[in-house]
Amino acid sequence: MAGADLVHGYAQAMLTVAEAEGALDAVEKELFAFSAAVEQNTALREALTDAALPVANKEAVIDELLGERSHPVTRNIARFIVGSGRAKELGAIVRELATVATERRRHVLAEVRTAVPLTQERRTRIAAALSAATGREVEVRDVVDPSVIGGVIAHVGDEVFDGSVSSRLDDAKQQLGS
Amino acid sequence: MVATILALLAAVEPLNDKKDLYPHWQELVVGAIAFAILFFFMSKWVLPRINALLEERRQKIQGELERAEQTRTEADGILADYRQQLAGAREESGRIIEEARTTAEQLRHDVQAKAEEEAQATVARAQDEIRAERDRVFQELRAQVAEIAVDLAGRVVGESLDASSHERLIDRYIDEVSSGGNGQG
Repeated sequence: MAGADLVHGYAQAMLTVAEAEGALDAVEKELFAFSAAVEQNTALREALTDAALPVANKEAVIDELLGERSHPVTRNIARFIVGSGRAKELGAIVRELATVATERRRHVLAEVRTAVPLTQERRTRIAAALSAATGREVEVRDVVDPSVIGGVIAHVGDEVFDGSVSSRLDDAKQQLGS
Repeated sequence: MVATILALLAAVEPLNDKKDLYPHWQELVVGAIAFAILFFFMSKWVLPRINALLEERRQKIQGELERAEQTRTEADGILADYRQQLAGAREESGRIIEEARTTAEQLRHDVQAKAEEEAQATVARAQDEIRAERDRVFQELRAQVAEIAVDLAGRVVGESLDASSHERLIDRYIDEVSSGGNGQG
C-alpha cells in the first residue's frame, strides 16, 4: 500500500487538472462512481491491477465502463491513474479527491454504503439526516456494497453512522465469541 | 682339759682372800677422774655433734617429706584440673555435636520444606498454564463457532432480505440518524 503522501499528491494533481478544465464537480462524481464500481467488481479490479495486461486493454476497459456520456477529463484521469500502475490506490486517490473537492464547496463528503442501490429520494433524505446529525452540509456519494447485507453505513469525515446488518452481525459475533 | 681347769682352780683357791674382792681406792679415784674426763669430753663435743647431725638429718627428711607432700598436692591439683578440663571438653564436644545435630535437623527440615514448596509452586504453575491454555482454546473455539454461526446467519439474512426489507432498513436508518443517533438504533 502506497503512503498517504502519494495518494494525496495524485489526488491534488487530478483535482487541479479537473478544476482547470472547469469540470471538477462532474469529474469528481463520475470518478467516485467509477471507483465504487471497480471496488465491487473483483474481475475488473484484477484486470486493472494486472501488470501483465497491456495498458491499451485497460484503457479500453475504462472507456467501456465510463461510456461516452462521461466527461473526457474523467476518462483521462482514470486512464492516467491506471496507466501509472496505481490502480490499487484508485479508491484512496478518488476518495481523497472527493473529500478535498467537497471541502472546496464548503461541504463535507459522506460515503454511504448500502446493499442495494439508493433511490434519489432516499439519497436526499439520507443527506438531510446526516447534515442534521453533523451540523454540516453533507454531500452523499453512495456505493453499492453487498457486504453491508442490509441497512446503511455512512462515513462522514472521521464519524461513522453505522446502521448495517453486517455490523450487527459483527456485534453478535463479538458477543458470542467473548 | 677338765683336769687342767680343776688343777688351776685348786691352785687359785688359796689366793682368794676377802680383801682382794674390793678394788683399791686409788684405782677408784683414777677411774672416777677418767670417767669424769670422758663424760665431759663426750658431753661437750661428741654428743652435740651427734645431736646436730641427727637434727640435720631429721630436718632433711622432714623437708623431703614436706616437698613430697607438696608435690603430691600439686599433682592432685593438676590431676583435678585435667579432670575438670576433660569434663569441660567432653561437655563442649557433646554440646557441639548436639548443636550440629540440631543444625543438620533444621537444615534438613528447611530443605524439605523448600523442596515441597517448590514442588507445589511447580504444580500450581502447571495447573495455571493448563487452565490458561484450556481457556484460550475454549475462547478460540468459541470465536470460531461464533464466526461460522454469524456468517451463516448473515448469508441467510442477506438472502431473505427482499426489496421492501431493504427499504425498511434504510428508512429506519434515516429516522435513527435524524433523531440524533448514530444509525445503530
